Amino acid sequence: MRSTHSSFENSSNPLPDVEIDLDTLPCGLLRTLDDGTICRANRTFTRWVSLTPELLVGRRFQELLTMGGKIFHHTHWAPLLRMQGSISEVKLEVVAGGEVIPMVINAIRHDDGAGTIVHDIAAYVARDRDRYEQELLRSRARLEGLIAELEQMHEASNDRAAFAEQMMGIVSHDLRNPLNAIQLGADLLAVQGLDEPQQRVVHRIASSTKRAAALIDDLLDFTSARVGSGISVAIAPIQLHELIAEGLDELRMVYPNRTLVHRRAGTSETNGDARRLVQLVGNLISNAVVYGAPDTPITVTTSVQGISSITAHNHGSKIPDALRASMFDPMTRGTEAGAPRSVGLGLFIVREIARAHGGAATVTSSDEGTSFRIEWPARAER
Amino acid sequence: MLRTVSLQRRNNVSVIGDGPATFFFAHGFGCDQNMWRFLAPEYAKRYRVVLFDLVGGGASDLSAYDRDKYDSLHGYARDIVELVDEFGKGPTVFVGHSVSAMIGTLANVAAPEKFAAQVMIGPSPCYINDGDYIGGFTRADIDSLLHTLESNFLGWSSTMAPAIMGAPEQPELGVELTNSFCRTDPEIAKQFARVTFLSDVRTELAALAAPTLLLQSTEDLIAPVTVGEYMHRVLPRSTLTIVDNVGHCPHLSSPSACANAIDAFLVREQL
Repeated sequence: MRSTHSSFENSSNPLPDVEIDLDTLPCGLLRTLDDGTICRANRTFTRWVSLTPELLVGRRFQELLTMGGKIFHHTHWAPLLRMQGSISEVKLEVVAGGEVIPMVINAIRHDDGAGTIVHDIAAYVARDRDRYEQELLRSRARLEGLIAELEQMHEASNDRAAFAEQMMGIVSHDLRNPLNAIQLGADLLAVQGLDEPQQRVVHRIASSTKRAAALIDDLLDFTSARVGSGISVAIAPIQLHELIAEGLDELRMVYPNRTLVHRRAGTSETNGDARRLVQLVGNLISNAVVYGAPDTPITVTTSVQGISSITAHNHGSKIPDALRASMFDPMTRGTEAGAPRSVGLGLFIVREIARAHGGAATVTSSDEGTSFRIEWPARAER
Repeated sequence: MLRTVSLQRRNNVSVIGDGPATFFFAHGFGCDQNMWRFLAPEYAKRYRVVLFDLVGGGASDLSAYDRDKYDSLHGYARDIVELVDEFGKGPTVFVGHSVSAMIGTLANVAAPEKFAAQVMIGPSPCYINDGDYIGGFTRADIDSLLHTLESNFLGWSSTMAPAIMGAPEQPELGVELTNSFCRTDPEIAKQFARVTFLSDVRTELAALAAPTLLLQSTEDLIAPVTVGEYMHRVLPRSTLTIVDNVGHCPHLSSPSACANAIDAFLVREQL
C-alpha cells in the first residue's frame, strides 16, 4: 500500500510532498467492498490480527468480529454507514487467533473513483482504554447495585418506623381505656367510707394508675419524636414563674417526702408551651427524686433574662463524664440502685421539648450535685 | 384530537402521501424511522404512509418509556394497534423490519380486523437456538451483544449523544441524523436488545391469518435463510421472496429489489 500525499499543497503550512508508506503507519487500514469484503489491508493491521494479507483479503470485515460485534455491525454499523457515509469512534473487538483485540474504528463509505462503492476503515488497538472502560463500567454497575440496596434498606426502615409508630399509637391508646376504668373504680372506692388499710390500698392503686398513664404519654412522645414528626408544641405567651410554681405545687403532692424549692430570676413573661413545660419540670423532678441524694432539697430555678430557662438542681454524687454525654439519649438510665420511674425516656423528652422550643438541654455535675438546665429564646417561635 | 397529538408525540409519527391504503413502516432494533428513507417516499407517491419511532428509539418521547410495559414485545404491539386505530385510513399494510415484524405479528393477532397484510423484512420469530429450531444465536451471543452496546454508549450520559454518530465527511447529513438516527438511551438500548433477542413468537405465528410477504436476504446473520424458510412453513398465508443482499437491512442496501417484491405481492394479493 502506497500513497502520494499532495492534497495539502496549497495550504499555508503544507506537509512535505513525500510518499507515505501506509504499511508502516501506526494504525490499521482496510479497504472493503460495500458488503464488507476486504480488498486491501495494510501491514500494521495484518500484523495485529496475525494473518497474512492473502488470508485476509476476500474475507468479510464483519467476520473478524465477536458475535456481539457482528450483530452490532448488522444493526448499527451498516445502516449508519449507509445513511451517514461515515462512522467514527466505534469500539469493536476483533478476534485474532483465539485472542480478542479491542479496537476503536473509524470508517467512510465512498466511490473509489471507478464507480465502485468502497469502505475505508482505520483502526487502532485500544487495550488499555478498554481495560479502563471496563473498570469504569464495573464500578458504575457496583455503584448502581449499592444505590439500589440503599434505597431498599431506606424503604424497609421507613416501613418499620411507620409500623412501630402505628403500633405504639394503637397500644398506647388501647391501654388508656382500661386504665381510665381502673382510675374511675379507685376514685369511687375512695369515697365509700373505707377503713385505713383499705384506703392505703386504694391510694396505691390510684397512684400506680397515674404512673402508668404518664408512662403511656412518655411512650407516645418518644414515638413521635423518634420516628414521627417530632414532639409538637403550641407556643403561646406565658408567665413562666407562676406556671412552674403551680406545677411544683402538684409535684409536692406526688412527692410528699421531698422538699421542692422554687427560685425566680428576671421577669416572668415569655413564650412557650405551658403544658409541655410543666411536663418537662415533672420529668426533671422525677429524675432528681430517683437519682439525687435522699433527704435533700431539690431546687428549681425559673428565669427570663434575655433568654428563658428552667434549671433543676439536686444534691448527690457526681455523674461520670462518660454517662453525662449520653444522658439525654433514649433508654439511658442511671446506674444507681433505686426505683426508676420510667424506661429511660424522661430526659429524652426533656431535650425534645427544649428543641421544639428552639432551645437546648444541658447537664452539669460536680460534687455539689447535678443541674439540668433547659433554655430557649425569650421569644420562642417554631 | 388530543389523542392524535399525544400518540404523535409518543411515537414521533409523521404521515406522508395519500392513497387507497395506509402503509405503516416500523423500524427494527438499533435505529429509527430514517431507515425507511429510500423506500417510504416511493410508497408515499401511491399510498398514505405512516412513519414512526418505537418508544425508546429515535425521537420518540422517552418519558413514555415504561420499563414494565416494554419488557416484552406485547407492549410495543399495543402501541401499534393504537397507531393503526388513530392514523390508519382504508386497509392497512404493516411493513416491519426485523423485530418489528414480530411486533406487527402480535398486533395483527390481537386485532386481526385492523390489518390487511403484513410485509416482514428480515424477520425472526426466535433468535436463540432451541432444540431442532436454529435461530442462529446462543444466550452467550446475546450477552456479547450487550457488552458491545455498553462499550459504544460510554459517552451517553455526559454528552447525550453516543460517539457513533459522527459524520465528519458529510456534515450536512451528519447534523440531521446525529440528532435522531440510532440515538438510544443506553439503558433502553440494552433492555430493547434483551427483549428483542430473547423473544420467542413462534407459537403466535399459526394465528396470523393476514397475507404475509417474507423478504429474506440471501446473507443475513440476524435472520438466516433457514429462519425465513421456517416462517414460510409455519405461517398460514405467506409468500417467501429471497432478495440478493448481504446484511440485515435490504431496504437500505437493496431498496429497489425490496420495492419490486412488495409490489408483486400487492398485485398478487389484489391490494
